[in-house]
Amino acid sequence: MTMTPPIATPAESFELEPIADLSDADTLRANRQTAIYVYEAPVRLWHWINAAAIMVLVVTGFLIARPLPSMPGEAAFTFLMGDIRFAHFTAGYILAVGLIGRLYWACVGNHHARQMLYIPFWRRQYWRDVGNQAAWYLFMVKYPRKYVGHNPLSQLAMFGMFFLGALFMICTGFALYSQGEGAASWQAKLFGWVLDLAGNSQNLHTAHHFGLWLMVVFVMLHVYAAIREDIMSRQSIVSTMISGWRMFKDHGQ
Amino acid sequence: MTAVTTANGFALDNSGKRIVVDPVTRIEGHLRVEVNLDDHNVIRNAVSTGTMWRGLEVILKGRDPRDAWAFTERICGVCTGTHALTSVRAVEDALSIKIPENANTIRNIMQLTLHVHDHLVHFYHLHALDWVDVVSALNADPKATSELAQSLSPWPKSSPGYFRDLQGRLKKFVDSGQLGPFRNGYWGHPAYKLPAEANLMAVAHYLEALDFQKEIVKIHTVFGGKNPHPNWLVGGVPCAINLDGIGAVGAINMERLNLVTSIINQSIDFVEQVYIPDLLAIAGFYKDWLYGGGLSSTSVLAYGDIPDHANDYSPASLLLPHGAIIDGKLSEIHEVDLRDPTHVQEFVGHSWYRYPDETKGLHPWDGVTEANFALGPQTKGSKTRIEALDESGKYSWIKAPRWKGHAMEVGPLARYIVGYAQNKPEFKEPVEKVLKTLDLPVAALFSTLGRTAARGLECQWAANKMKYFMDKLIATIKAGDSATANTTRWDPKTWPKEAKGVGFSEAPRGALGHWIRIADGRIANYQAVVPTTWNGSPRDAEGRIGAFEASLLETPVADPERPVEIIRTLHSFDPCLACAAH
Amino acid sequence: MAMTETFYDVIRRQGISRRSFTKFCSLTAASLGLGPAFGPRIAEAMETKPRIPVLWLHGLECTCCSESFIRSAHPLVKDVVLSMISLDYDDTLMAAAGTQAEAIFDEIRQTYRGRYIVAVEGNPPLDEDGMFCIIGGRPFVERLREVAADSMAVISWGSCASWGCVQAAKPNPTHAVPVHEVVSGKPIIKVPGCPPIAEVMTGVITYLLTFDRLPELDRQGRPKMFYSQRIHDKCYRRPHFDAGQFVEAWDDEQARKGYCLYKMGCKGPTTYNACSTVRWNDGVSFPIQSGHGCIGCSEEGFWDQGSFYDRLTTISPFGVEANADQIGGTAAGVIGAGIAVHAALSAVKRARDKAVTPPPADPKPHP
Ligand code: HEM
Ligand code: HEM
Ligand code: NFV
Ligand code: SF4
Ligand code: SF4
Ligand code: F3S
Ligand SMILES: [Mg+2]
Repeated sequence: MTMTPPIATPAESFELEPIADLSDADTLRANRQTAIYVYEAPVRLWHWINAAAIMVLVVTGFLIARPLPSMPGEAAFTFLMGDIRFAHFTAGYILAVGLIGRLYWACVGNHHARQMLYIPFWRRQYWRDVGNQAAWYLFMVKYPRKYVGHNPLSQLAMFGMFFLGALFMICTGFALYSQGEGAASWQAKLFGWVLDLAGNSQNLHTAHHFGLWLMVVFVMLHVYAAIREDIMSRQSIVSTMISGWRMFKDHGQ
Repeated sequence: MTAVTTANGFALDNSGKRIVVDPVTRIEGHLRVEVNLDDHNVIRNAVSTGTMWRGLEVILKGRDPRDAWAFTERICGVCTGTHALTSVRAVEDALSIKIPENANTIRNIMQLTLHVHDHLVHFYHLHALDWVDVVSALNADPKATSELAQSLSPWPKSSPGYFRDLQGRLKKFVDSGQLGPFRNGYWGHPAYKLPAEANLMAVAHYLEALDFQKEIVKIHTVFGGKNPHPNWLVGGVPCAINLDGIGAVGAINMERLNLVTSIINQSIDFVEQVYIPDLLAIAGFYKDWLYGGGLSSTSVLAYGDIPDHANDYSPASLLLPHGAIIDGKLSEIHEVDLRDPTHVQEFVGHSWYRYPDETKGLHPWDGVTEANFALGPQTKGSKTRIEALDESGKYSWIKAPRWKGHAMEVGPLARYIVGYAQNKPEFKEPVEKVLKTLDLPVAALFSTLGRTAARGLECQWAANKMKYFMDKLIATIKAGDSATANTTRWDPKTWPKEAKGVGFSEAPRGALGHWIRIADGRIANYQAVVPTTWNGSPRDAEGRIGAFEASLLETPVADPERPVEIIRTLHSFDPCLACAAH
Repeated sequence: MAMTETFYDVIRRQGISRRSFTKFCSLTAASLGLGPAFGPRIAEAMETKPRIPVLWLHGLECTCCSESFIRSAHPLVKDVVLSMISLDYDDTLMAAAGTQAEAIFDEIRQTYRGRYIVAVEGNPPLDEDGMFCIIGGRPFVERLREVAADSMAVISWGSCASWGCVQAAKPNPTHAVPVHEVVSGKPIIKVPGCPPIAEVMTGVITYLLTFDRLPELDRQGRPKMFYSQRIHDKCYRRPHFDAGQFVEAWDDEQARKGYCLYKMGCKGPTTYNACSTVRWNDGVSFPIQSGHGCIGCSEEGFWDQGSFYDRLTTISPFGVEANADQIGGTAAGVIGAGIAVHAALSAVKRARDKAVTPPPADPKPHP
């Protein structure tokens, strides 16, 4: 017994997916061609720099929270904790500046450059698609749908866990940073409200610290899903973030 | 009621004129007292009320036992540290933690520092104005004051010029019309008996003591990092000793030890050359004012403190006396067992708390603290405008602790009476010397004055004992032992599932106990029975009155509008209301 | 007012020379962090002003703020009380009691309306109509509101008045609240700490008197001059922190060397106070210098932030207390395990699908 994969006709699809800048051409091409250019170079560059920054932040953040066993020797000749914190703050700046650049590209880049920054919250169909994608992960449907950009579930994760998560880490991170820079610093002027909101500095640390685990969980799910989909889904995934091109594997069948 | 005799033998009569003193000032916290005067203005009934409660025992539930010292320390900032010490002792008792010798020594030095500081500040800044008329000092002759001072003590600050300057400053101050803390005092009251010169000398020492007290507490700062509220540690003390190794400058080192030694020496000088001579001089003018004995001649209680040897809390090791006296029988000292459910119990029949059965007392391990503010039917005024309380109902935030059913007095006088009765020379000899100097019989001890004198003697004892423990600290370090903490049971994983313990100490105001129950690494129950809980106790279910109330009876009040006699006697206990009700 | 005596009069009368008076003023300026130029201004202020009345109220408290205040070394508290302010009401120190004490409130409110300072130590409970703290037969909160209403400014001494402190710790059995929750329409200066440092307390008062203005306050209402940096920012153990040198257990080798107390739960990195600079009791030490971590005593709600030996807040989402790493680590572990299982199932599915199912024809890709 075989299951029929959910295949929509192009006409149907336009009713269901009224996305402004997904042109007819895109869809038609996807049905005709094996590859579509999805992630422009700045997005790809940003992705890998950002991934590196996050890795550094997670490792150094953890070591700030739970320092290594004591260093021997004179304090004057060692600066381990200082170096770890420096790496953390540098990576923190890269994360923040990178995100600003990424936001700029969302304005000037293609449709896929915007996907990470929002979810079509009010669109019922979107949530149905999320359900469908979840069903695929739960082995409840046999074949996944094809997606040019992020699949709906990954869009949810990109936005909810990564984008909001990174904003949260940047806000809390710079608020923490402002404590060292002092009340007159630009960090304090821009992010001092976060400290007020947290109530006190310890709550802020605790919140920022929780954020580490949010990021760890995101990265675990994300990397796993990327590799798995690369193997199991009907399009290329990992290579897309390297070359920019989405390849459809079962084209023409 | 009109006239009754209480179960502990005091005659009460509330038919006369009721007068109220609220707030009682120059104490810690909030205390109200009401008395009934007979036709001769003699006190025939006394009602003392603790008017604050914060609920520390409720707040402590569910917390980490290693944190309890910090919470309980905030029971009081005046006897700062004594609750913390008692708390770490309770936890260590529950978890069978043994502390290093140095930790015991340092803790003793800190506790003795508190005694010296607290007694000194009490005498000069809280109690002296009951005996000293500041305004009268303006009439003193500085030269005669100088002669008086020099006849009493070798203390160097005693020249005529010194007293003249001071008098000038005081005059200018009074003339300014802004009397500040001296505003509306009972100045010129006939109960003040000191000659002008003694008043001026006392004012000088009031100010000198104010300057000096801040030096004494530096000992807490060295070992505990700050005062008020130094830091403590379950298992020892937080300050490490490092005499000459790498990093010694950041630990207890020679410089720190020298600082402590120097303060100890200054403290001994100040107490012996200023406090004790002033005490004797002032007492000399008030010898016939022997009111205020209350419970002291019948029922006194002391737990003992200052263990000479680490982890040995047996009476043999405790340098401060341990034991109870009841029915006035000085010949019989009773053993006090803080673990025995029949010894210490708290009652709430007249306290603003709820028990399942309020006719019974509860041992603190099974203690309950549940607020229940309710006024008796004869209360005058309204709930938020109390004019006169009804002592037949609930009337205080203080519980009523009893030892084997007896209301007890605690404090320096209680300790000295027990020590005296035990024939301990350290306590008996100074008492006899004072009595001889003032030409008074032993019975004079049981009075307001006796309480005030015992506190002074204890201050002197404590200052000298600090020196003893400082020598001990140095000897132990010299012998190669510089350990200050035992961390084998720091981790809650090493604790039994359930445990209970009791810690005790002699706080400046008297016997202090903390009882703790630990379950699953958390505080399951915590109860403190505090010196002023004993002394300021309201009546119990059977009507026994506590030490404050008992001490006020029979005292004549010269001017009911300005009842200096009442606050004089209350002050002799050094009441602490934040402690009493916590 | 009959005659008013200034601080300068008093100090000269004591036989102190003009020169040492000036020196005192520049020392005061220095201790306030104001720089030498301010010395003469302090001197001028003290030469010319009458003493400002201060009514010091006590609510639910432990009185250690008062105890701390009297430890002030510069200025000496006797000089503050005799020469700088007129401490007309303070239950703990005043000579008057009972009705004579109560009368002072009306006297000062009438004579000095809008010109006196209310200093509050402790705080008011609100439950039981405020009767957890009764003064003169009435709830403390009423007295506080009345007296504050006619004042010129309110000083909230200590963590009790500023934040609520220990009696407001969970479950706050009396519903104790900080002063600013019951007093409005008046400038409130919070001087937190349990207790605050003596010289910080007298520094705030001296500043008010000298410059005739409130000190600049931060967003939480604390004087910036003493509360704008963390203990950690100026801690003398900071080089050990930066080097990665920590005390790992009480009284270990590193403790004896004075290494950083971070791993012992030191809250210096999260606590705004002047301890590591002004230090305590005339500069003798401060908590960290004596080997115990900072417990964060000047921070709002510091009693309910988990153990004093844990840097981060303990959270109990399901009744079981845990820290961020336990919760986060568990989540990551569960998800990791989930991924492993999922990967295995996926492999099985893929093997099966390959064997039996042909790929679907011409699907439509989604955006
Ligand atoms: C994915 C992003 C990030 C992660 C996972 C992360 C993780 C952490 C962790 C676990 C800590 C220790 C918290 C504690 O236990 O007290 C920390 C501290 C800190 N982080 Fe981040 N962080 C991130 C982003 C940032 C950013 C963007 C900044 C901004 C500059 C930043 C600045 C800081 C600062 C200032 C501290 C305090 C350092 C200290 O107390 O010595 N972090 N971070
Ligand atoms: C710290 C690690 C990483 C972070 C924070 C991260 C974050 C992100 C984000 C935010 C996006 C969305 C990009 C956009 O819409 O502009 C994305 C996409 C992507 N990431 Fe990562 N990434 C990480 C590591 C990796 C790794 C290790 C891989 C490869 C194994 C990977 C593969 C991809 C792929 C293939 C996409 C595109 C997904 C798609 O085609 O829908 N990422 N990543
Ligand atoms: N009562 C009492 Fe205390 C003392 N001494 C202590 O335990 O004062 Ni505040
Ligand atoms: S803030 Fe702390 S020190 Fe001050 S009264 Fe409150 S508990 Fe005591
Ligand atoms: S001891 Fe505390 S305040 Fe000092 S450097 Fe270490 S963590 Fe910071
Ligand atoms: S505990 Fe308090 S006293 Fe200072 S070092 Fe920390 S703020
Ligand atoms: Mg109790």
